[in-house]
Amino acid sequence: MKQAHVDRNRFEQAVLPQLDAAYNLARWLTRSANDAEDVVQEACERALRYFDAFRGGDAKAWFLTIVRHACYDWIKRNRPAEIVPGEADAIDDAVDPDGVTPEQAVIRQATTAALDEAIASLPAGYREVLILRELEELSYKEIARVADIPVGTVMSRLARARGMLQRSPVLHSIRERSTGRG
Amino acid sequence: MDCHETTALLQAYSDDELDPVRSASIERHLIGCAECASRRDELVKLRARIRTEVPYYSAPQPVRARALAAIEAATAAPPRPRRERWTWVTAGALAGSAATVFAWFIGTAALEWQATSDIVTEAVANHSRATLGNRLVDVASSDQHTVKPWLSARLDYSPPVRDFKDDGFPLVGGRLDYLDGRPVATLVYKYREHTIDVFMRPIDSGKPATWRRSATQRGFNVAHGSAGGMECWAVSDVSMDVLASLVQHLTSSAG
Repeated sequence: MKQAHVDRNRFEQAVLPQLDAAYNLARWLTRSANDAEDVVQEACERALRYFDAFRGGDAKAWFLTIVRHACYDWIKRNRPAEIVPGEADAIDDAVDPDGVTPEQAVIRQATTAALDEAIASLPAGYREVLILRELEELSYKEIARVADIPVGTVMSRLARARGMLQRSPVLHSIRERSTGRG
Repeated sequence: MDCHETTALLQAYSDDELDPVRSASIERHLIGCAECASRRDELVKLRARIRTEVPYYSAPQPVRARALAAIEAATAAPPRPRRERWTWVTAGALAGSAATVFAWFIGTAALEWQATSDIVTEAVANHSRATLGNRLVDVASSDQHTVKPWLSARLDYSPPVRDFKDDGFPLVGGRLDYLDGRPVATLVYKYREHTIDVFMRPIDSGKPATWRRSATQRGFNVAHGSAGGMECWAVSDVSMDVLASLVQHLTSSAG
């Protein structure tokens, strides 16, 4: 396979600093350490192929966009059952828009594992927006670019994701356990 | 701003995505409305918990190795021509007298620069070879009293070996590499998931050190330091600040 010459230094400067972010996103989307490794390598290979089209600017958003596509392609190939068409929209309608009550909030206690699990069990469309915002600290505009959705959708998904976490059964079961103890 | 509008904009407010006018108007509402204020507190609490409790998965070593291998495979280009500098120097030497002196300066500067970048290139190559392959350390130990004698027995000098575990840089072992045509002591440290190689050798008194303090090559950072008759190059993919901090520890403990 012949491919266009890639300026190695320029590529390394653009992509290598993003490997942590790439792996973190892949790890959260595939929910598997091994799969995330494969996906990041696949994303690097794609990035090398598409590097000609990269006009400089925001290398992180550019590379994360590729990583995200590689993740979904990987899931489609290997775990097609996880891809639910229109998943995010369907859940938008199903979720109760009211927030938690202050009483619930006061007694809320959960372990690290519980919050992890709650995030891992969010639908992918919400999970990615939350991870990009809270762990990668991307702006709404950057998230919109990476996830290929309008800024308004970023905002509403983020609100839903946070709302789901606050009402997560995982957190609630832990809460009951811990209040039961003492 | 009323409760309805505040609720709708609370997320964007918390994410610092609102213009100052609307932010201020939300803040005014929050002062007077206990219900919205408690919603805000809930959100702040959740976000703080996500930030402190949820793991950020940094790329482990194999991910970096595989990325580098993919780059290597895609960019296998002919090596950089090295002759040019020599031709340049030679041409300078052949020129007229004033020009010769001038060329001599330029030539020396070019050679020095070349020597520095050669050492940096070699150090980076040593580091990526070790992290790509399985030979990260020849002697695996976090005990400086194991690593130091092992290295001393194989070199004609005895490098200072310290563990900086309490400062976030645990020693994981030592290795023997070649740098500048001579065997060199390599101390291997960890920083979180990252590997840092420190190439340590005695300062050549005949050639006073004029190394640049830091350089970046192929995505790796390289920091140089010297103290107590020894000099070292630290190479890793961690940020320059982190690298400089390790070099700081190394040089202050050696001096």
